[in-house]
Amino acid sequence: MISAGCDVGSLTAKAVIIEGNRIISAKIIPVAETPRSSSEKVMTEALNTAGLTMDDINCCCSTGYGRHDIPFARMNMSEISCHGLGAFWLDRSIRTIIDIGGQDCKVISVDENGMMNDFIMNEKCAAGTGRSLEILSKAIGVDYKELGDIALPAKKTVEISSKCSIFMELDVMRRLYQEADIREIAYAINHAVAKRVYGLARTLKIHNDTCVTGGVSKNVSICNQLEEMLSITIKRLPLDPQLAGAVGAAVFAMKHGDLNKIEDESVKIPEEVCV
Amino acid sequence: MNFRLELEKAEGRKIMGYFCSYVPEELIHAAGFIPYRMRAVESAGTKDSSGYFSSTNCSYVKHCFDKALNGKFDFLDGLVFMNGCDHSRRMYDNWLHAGIKPDFMHFLTVPHILSGMAVDHYTGQLNKLKSSIENAFQVNITPSVLEESVSLYNKKRALLRTISEMRKHDIVPVRGSEFLKIMSATTAIPVEDSITILQDIIKNLDGRSVSSGNDIRVVFTGCGTEEVEYLELIEDCGASIVADKICLGSPYYATLVKENTDDPVSALSERYLTNLSCPRMVDDFRRRIQSIKQSIESFHADALILDKLEFCTYFSGESLLFQKEMKELGVPVIALDREFLGGNTGQIKTRVQAFCEKVNNLKAKI
Repeated sequence: MISAGCDVGSLTAKAVIIEGNRIISAKIIPVAETPRSSSEKVMTEALNTAGLTMDDINCCCSTGYGRHDIPFARMNMSEISCHGLGAFWLDRSIRTIIDIGGQDCKVISVDENGMMNDFIMNEKCAAGTGRSLEILSKAIGVDYKELGDIALPAKKTVEISSKCSIFMELDVMRRLYQEADIREIAYAINHAVAKRVYGLARTLKIHNDTCVTGGVSKNVSICNQLEEMLSITIKRLPLDPQLAGAVGAAVFAMKHGDLNKIEDESVKIPEEVCV
Repeated sequence: MNFRLELEKAEGRKIMGYFCSYVPEELIHAAGFIPYRMRAVESAGTKDSSGYFSSTNCSYVKHCFDKALNGKFDFLDGLVFMNGCDHSRRMYDNWLHAGIKPDFMHFLTVPHILSGMAVDHYTGQLNKLKSSIENAFQVNITPSVLEESVSLYNKKRALLRTISEMRKHDIVPVRGSEFLKIMSATTAIPVEDSITILQDIIKNLDGRSVSSGNDIRVVFTGCGTEEVEYLELIEDCGASIVADKICLGSPYYATLVKENTDDPVSALSERYLTNLSCPRMVDDFRRRIQSIKQSIESFHADALILDKLEFCTYFSGESLLFQKEMKELGVPVIALDREFLGGNTGQIKTRVQAFCEKVNNLKAKI
């Protein structure tokens, strides 16, 4: 049985197609004009890669903030449940998932079946999310994708506010005027975001088997700092962690009606989507 | 103004607005007015009112005052304020400062504590309100007329309670959002009409079902909850609101006013002050949490939703204490913090849907 998961977030859309415990295809694209067009575009790309058509998909589950507007999805689940199950399906030891997306950040606990049993989510403020990283990296003239790597060689850091993205930007500008080292500013930006996530994470019980998902999981500096703050070793998933939500949605689609059991088999992932 | 009030107004009836659940409608009705519960829904924004308040004032109050500034309450012949919270007190100051209609305005001071002395003090305040209305409008609120009003409102409350009791069943006949609609309507039209409407609704609810298999059953608490669309959004995420503790909800019909007494004003005072309280009342937390626990049990609720408006000091404290109590009881709880008519639907949907999924996962394990 072939099933699909489609995760339309605030900045990117993701599609994953699975058959049993094998991932057939996975795609990430920047969002288009509407959740509907994003979902259609990303799913078409994923289907084309796998040489499939929509008729071959037994069930598709949507997730992400655009989940209610995806015409080909037969069901929808919150991205919180999907990131939880997706990460668990990729690594059965995972019990805590820190999902840092474009506009929000969540810390998720799952049980021994990958079912979410607790979560905490940031409220209105976007500080500590991908969007604030984008704004701040732009302020220092660095591609946000490079922000993690640039910060790695930093020997020391500079102090910047972590209260609000706007205040953070003002602090970053001040440091630029003071001609501070760009690597140290990058480290400070990552530190401010990690601190926000840490503040959220500590309100839940953090398991030793923790992973980070969502777009910001690709920022090595933030992951390293979170490891230090939480005194844990963050597990790396065998797949691009930004795809975890779509993977979870695909597993929900596959297990539609029987969510409590997942076969205890290792997941087969094609090389091109491996980390 | 709704069309029902327009008709009444055309026939010469007078309308008196009131803020908060501690102002007895019976007294207003006995004076010959249609009591109208003040509301912020259908506000066009807070553009004009924002200048009168600080950025840390409650959005409900700002929306309400904006409506007033824009003449949306010009149909009122009188208005009763009370010391519900500091935000609403400030609204009274601003109302006076801005010189908004109506000419008759009365500020009712309600004690914050429960005691025999507080009830006596409140009785005195109600008598002041009574005299104030009598003098301003040249009417006489006799004990027998007041008794008739008490009887009518008791009838209305009993009917509302009958509908609420139906929500205890496995098959829920009315959604929480629909119930809010009923509450909203029946506090904005003549009580005589409300009674007829409620009797019709009860007849039509027989055999009706709004239940969905996967929905979790929740008790909903909050302040200033008036937006039907907001409760619909929550219910569409899979949370069936079977009971509530909101101003436009169960506290309204929790207890009746004692009838056939020598002093109906004292009977009003006793009922309104000792009724299921809101967090403005101090030293009454144990009774409020007990009432929540009872509702969870008797309405077979799976979880509790604690909703509150941003900057509401009373409900901020209450929400934290409720969360602690529910944790000890093992009842899943979610706290939502929002602005009145504030949008942000995407995040609320995700939060509530994930909460419902979590509760269903926990239920599946039992």
